[in-house]
Order: sequence, then C-alpha cells, then structure tokens
Amino acid sequence: MNIKKFSRTLPMKLWLLLLGVVLFSFFSNDFGLVDIQKTAIILAAGVDKTEDGFSVTAQIAVPKGSDRTTGGTSSVEIEAEGETVSDCVSLIFAKTGWVPKFVFCNLIVVGEEAAKSDMIGALNYFLRNDYMSDSCLLAVCEGKAGALLSSTSAIDDTSSLAIEKLFSNAAVNSGKVVPNSLKDFAISYYGVSESGYLPYVRASEQEGGQNDHAPTSAGAGTNAGGERDEPQKVYIAEETALFSKGKMVGLLPREQTLAFSLLTGKVSTGTFGAEDAGKPVTLTVVKNGGGVSLDLKDGPTAKLALSVTVRLCCRSITAPVEDIVSDSVPSPILKSAKAVLEEYAETLFSMCREAQCDLFQFKRMLYARSRKDYAAWKDSLLLALRPEIEAKVVSMK
Amino acid sequence: MNRISKRQLLFFLACVAPVGKLALLPARLADKAGGDLLFPALLQFLLQAGAIFCVLLLAKRGMSFFELLKNTFGKVAACVLITVYALFLLFAALLPLLEQKLLVQTVFYDTLPSLVAFSPFFLFAVYLVSKPLASFGRMWDILAPLAAFGLAGILVLSVGSADFSALAPVGAAGGKGFFEGTMSAFAWFCDAALLLPLLGKFRYEKGLAWKGTLAYLGGGAAVLFFYAVFYGIFREIAPAQLFAFTATSKYFSGVSTLGRIDYLFIFALSLVMSFWAALPLQEAADCVLEAYGRPRGLPTLLGVGLSALYFVLSVVLDFRFTEALDVITGELVWIFPVFCLLVPLLLLLTRRRRREH
Repeated sequence: MNIKKFSRTLPMKLWLLLLGVVLFSFFSNDFGLVDIQKTAIILAAGVDKTEDGFSVTAQIAVPKGSDRTTGGTSSVEIEAEGETVSDCVSLIFAKTGWVPKFVFCNLIVVGEEAAKSDMIGALNYFLRNDYMSDSCLLAVCEGKAGALLSSTSAIDDTSSLAIEKLFSNAAVNSGKVVPNSLKDFAISYYGVSESGYLPYVRASEQEGGQNDHAPTSAGAGTNAGGERDEPQKVYIAEETALFSKGKMVGLLPREQTLAFSLLTGKVSTGTFGAEDAGKPVTLTVVKNGGGVSLDLKDGPTAKLALSVTVRLCCRSITAPVEDIVSDSVPSPILKSAKAVLEEYAETLFSMCREAQCDLFQFKRMLYARSRKDYAAWKDSLLLALRPEIEAKVVSMK
Repeated sequence: MNRISKRQLLFFLACVAPVGKLALLPARLADKAGGDLLFPALLQFLLQAGAIFCVLLLAKRGMSFFELLKNTFGKVAACVLITVYALFLLFAALLPLLEQKLLVQTVFYDTLPSLVAFSPFFLFAVYLVSKPLASFGRMWDILAPLAAFGLAGILVLSVGSADFSALAPVGAAGGKGFFEGTMSAFAWFCDAALLLPLLGKFRYEKGLAWKGTLAYLGGGAAVLFFYAVFYGIFREIAPAQLFAFTATSKYFSGVSTLGRIDYLFIFALSLVMSFWAALPLQEAADCVLEAYGRPRGLPTLLGVGLSALYFVLSVVLDFRFTEALDVITGELVWIFPVFCLLVPLLLLLTRRRRREH
C-alpha cells in the first residue's frame, strides 16, 4: 500500500481499531458489570448492637419460580456480626459469595438497643455508601432488628415490604405514622438542633395466623429454607422514637405522634377521639394547617398552633337519621376536640423537653434568625421555652 | 468555514462553561463556607467575568494567542510562554477529568466498576484532540441546548424539595469560610484561560466583549440558583453530596412513581461534561501545534500521547482522588489565578512591539 495513502487513512483505521477494542471489552464483560447471579440485592437491613460491636441482618431478594400463581418477593435473611457495620457487610459477602448491593435497599431498621447507644455508629456506613439511596426509609424497632426482619409477616412474603407499607402516603395522611428517611434524619442530627425522630415499629402476633407463605429465611442462625412453624406477625408503627445527639431519648405514644403530624400540617384523613355527652366520638380530620414558631419578645416562647377542620366519623349516642346525613359537628364536640388536641400538644411539648429533644428544630429557627440570640440561648433554649398552644377546631360545613 | 461564530462563542460562555461547576464544586463550597456557599461562587464568577471581558477585548487585535505572544515578546519567548501555558492547561485538565471519571463510576454504576469502565473517554479524547480547535464551535451548537435542557430539567425537578431558609443566617461562615471557599473554587474557574487559546478562531464583532461577559454572568446566575437549591435540599449534609447535579432531583415526588426520569437530564449534563473535560487537553495540543507547526499525523499522535498519559494518571490516582483534589485546590491553587486572571489582564495591558523595519 502506498505510504502516503496509508498515512491519509490512518485516523479512520485507528478509530476502527479503537472501536474494536471497546466492543471487545464490552462484550467480554470487562466493563465490570455485576452479574446478577453473584449479587445480593438487599431489600432491607437490620442493625443491632452486640457486645463487641454490631450485628447486621440483610434481607436479600431471591428469584421466585416462574409459576404465575405465585406473586410477591421471596427473601432470605443473612446475619453477620462484627466490630463495625462495614465488617458485618464484608462478612455477609464472605458467607454468601454474593456482592452486597444496597442500591435497592429501601428500609433500614435499627434495634432499640443500638438506637439508644450508638445510632450514628449504626448509620455511618450507610451514610458513606455512594451506591445507596439516602431516601431510604429509616425506623427503630422494639427488640432486635434482625428478629423483626426475620419474622414472618401475615400480609406479605417479605417482612420488610410489609413494614414499608406502614409508611405509605395514605398512612402519612392519616397522621398516625411519621416516616423519616436516612437523608432527613442525618440532616436533623448534623444540624444545630442535633435532634430528630424515627417511627418505632412493633411486631405483634397475628392470632390464628398460619404460615402458608413461601420460605422466607435461610442462613446464619435461621432455618435453611423449608416451611417454618413460626407465628405470623403484623407490624405497627404508630409510636415515634425521639433522638437527641444521635441517641434515642424518648418514645412518643400514638396520641402525641398524631399531634406532631397535625403540627406539621400533613394530616388529611386522620381520625381522633373526643367526648360527646360523656360518650366517645371519633372525628375525621379533613383539613389540617398547623405550624410551629419561635418568639423571643417576652422571653423564648414556642408557639404551637393546631388548625383542623373535622367532620363526624362515629358517634356513640343515639341520634336521629338527619344526624348521620349531616357533616357538621356540634359545638360541644368541637370544644371537647379542642381540649383533646391541646392536651396532646402540651404532653408532646413536655415529653420533648423532658427528653431534651428539639423535635421542632427551635434551635435551628433561632440560628437562622439571629446568631447573637443563638449564642445566648443555645444551651438553655429547650428548658427556657414557654409553650403557647392553641388549637382551632372547626366543623366541616 | 473553520471559525467559531459569535453565536457559538456565546453558547459556550452561557451554557457549556457553567456545566463544569455542577459536580464536585457545590459540595466543596458547602464544606468550606456552609450556607454561605453562594458568596465565594459569586466572587469567582465576577472575577472570571472580568477576565473574560479582557480576553474578548484582546480578540479585537485579530491575532491568535500565539501571534499575540509573538508580537509582544518575540518568537522564542512566545514559544517558551505558550509551552508553559500548554503545561498549565494540562494541569487544569486533571481536575475535570478525574471528576468526570469518579462521577461515571459512582453515579452510573451500582457497585464499584473496573478501571476500564471509564477508558472509552480516553479514546473519545484522542478523537477530539486530533480535531482542529475551531471544530468545538460546531459542538457547542449542539452541547449548549443540551446543557440548558439538562440544567433546566434538574432545577425544575429539584426546586420543590428545597428549603431556602437553610441559607440563613447570611455570613455564618465568616471571613475564614468565605476566603477558604473562594480559594478552593479557583481550580474550577478556568473559563478565561480556556478562552485565550480560542483567540484568532473567532472574529471580534461590535459589543462582543459585553455580550460575552453578560452571557457568562447569565450562566453563572443559573449555577448560583442551582447552588441555593442544592444547599436548600441537603443543608448540613451538603458537603457529603459529591456529585451535586446528580443528587438533587431524586426527591421529586414523581420519581417514586415513574422511576429515575431525572437521569435523562443527568445524562445530558454528563455528556456536555465529557466535552468540557476534554477541552483543556485539546487546547494544550493546539497551543503546541500552533507554536511548533502542524505536520500531518502529529495531532493524532499528540491526542494518543496525551490520552495515554491521562489514562495512566487516572489509574494511578484512582484511590488517591481526595489527596489529588486537596493538592490541586490547596498547595497548587495559586497557579489558577495566575493563568486565569493575571495572564489575560497582563496581555491586555502590554503594548504591541513595534515592528522593526
């Protein structure tokens, strides 16, 4: 070939050669794409405290048969112990040979003991993991997180998916549950308030429930497949764990969880009880517009304003049929509802103060408003705050 | 036509140049200046706008960068100076290149991929470096709308999740935070320095200096708005969000229903970033070629050599990225203001040597 001609066509030849190299690299899997058969797709992780460090339970999705009659997701739980969460994850890899993949992990459950002693230690690995979504849900559970994830759900093949259902938008709108994500919890911890909250999950036995689901557990410390005679569980997350400086410091009951939801103005379908001529009555919140503010005029004052529009949901007294048709709520019930909500909010405020948890981020409000005032009040603000609670309950027309 | 048109140049300044500031820089500024991250960035944009104004005024002289140096300092000195400038461009290329590599490895893969995953970029760089510098004008015609589409899409999806009260109180970082933020940001603001080798590749038209500067400031305003959204979303954990533009849009409520539709915009910006990362390499090669001649095959050879060098560097610095970043934005950061601010200003102030007849 003519050298001159060759030199003129060299770039094109070079590009073709390079293209060949790229294609060869791609089709020989040298781009390092992870083989699904060698990958553990982690749906949820449970972190517990042990004597020497931590224990991590990874709930890993396993492929189900192609039988169309079987739906849902099967899973196995693998548990590993180590000094740090990272050690535990490495051990899970060593035990299974599967590369732990957190990209689909939508739930992290932390056991109560870990939450009370070292919450940030439990979460540090997940916060640093570049391949994990920080919008992953976070929760604390009664007892061990490993046991919760390994339990058999009465409503789903996989316990974590059953738990995630508790944090749906519908549940948030009801005001009974206050979900939180890894990102928002981290922001509240690293912020000036150093306080946050997480939903608290309890498992309770479903009476008369039989385990007719596919095998859900295998691996260290659990059955290696096969049917289990474990009782079926249902989960509830109507309580809220309070955190201060990275440690769980208190637990809000369901009433105060509702008050917290109402104060943040998220409720649109929730219910709560009041009194109607000495008998119980249930009201539905159809509209909610609460708010929390800080006033420094006459000493630090926390203004907690609840504003709800309600309608009757269920009455215990005998009433004519017109009463069922009507949506309007009689004024004595509205008064009772106002008293109930104000009491919920007052208890909520005092519980937070007692636990030294700045749940409403008052310190952040102060910091954003005035650095001088913040410097003056930052250590004593929670104790010095005087609550000013006002509930406005109106009837749906 | 082998020239960059006025439109292409304005596209570059308004849309392509801001893209290089959307990945690592927001987290870096949040680390140094916290909620005051907008102020160091604003100062940098103003400084660069001034330097860009100077470079665009230099374009009035109708000479290329090398001709300008030759005319001012003589041929030998110009050769030396342009070689030094090419070395600076090679140094400036390191940060966007490593940034791009880390972004691809972290965002587009769900576990750490092998080293070769990023190697196609270097093949792409060989191609770009072997092309004449003026060819970038045609690329900017395509890249600018793509960058605008990507940034606008990300802003639309992200703005609803931002709480702008996170930026208060103003001045909380103090003078130290402002100074440290400004200093470390120099490494990302090389726009005027990247414009210098383009001299002679575009024709000065009336008002271009003002229009170019305003176009750049317009792009800068969009970047500052993005920074505000970014900090409004991540607040105290913003320093941990390494690739800002890939992180802000995932909290859009539609993402949970439709999936990561925001990847469409992320891919668009990443594509523009690839060209942005290769630009200093191409300019360095062009400087050398203009000074020492352009024999056939040499551009391709330079492209292969530079790409191979940077491939090796990217492998060597694979797990030392943080150290490299600290050196570039710490001990060696003074290099950037010298070449990006001082050189354009000095060139504008130096008079032309009188021709000896």
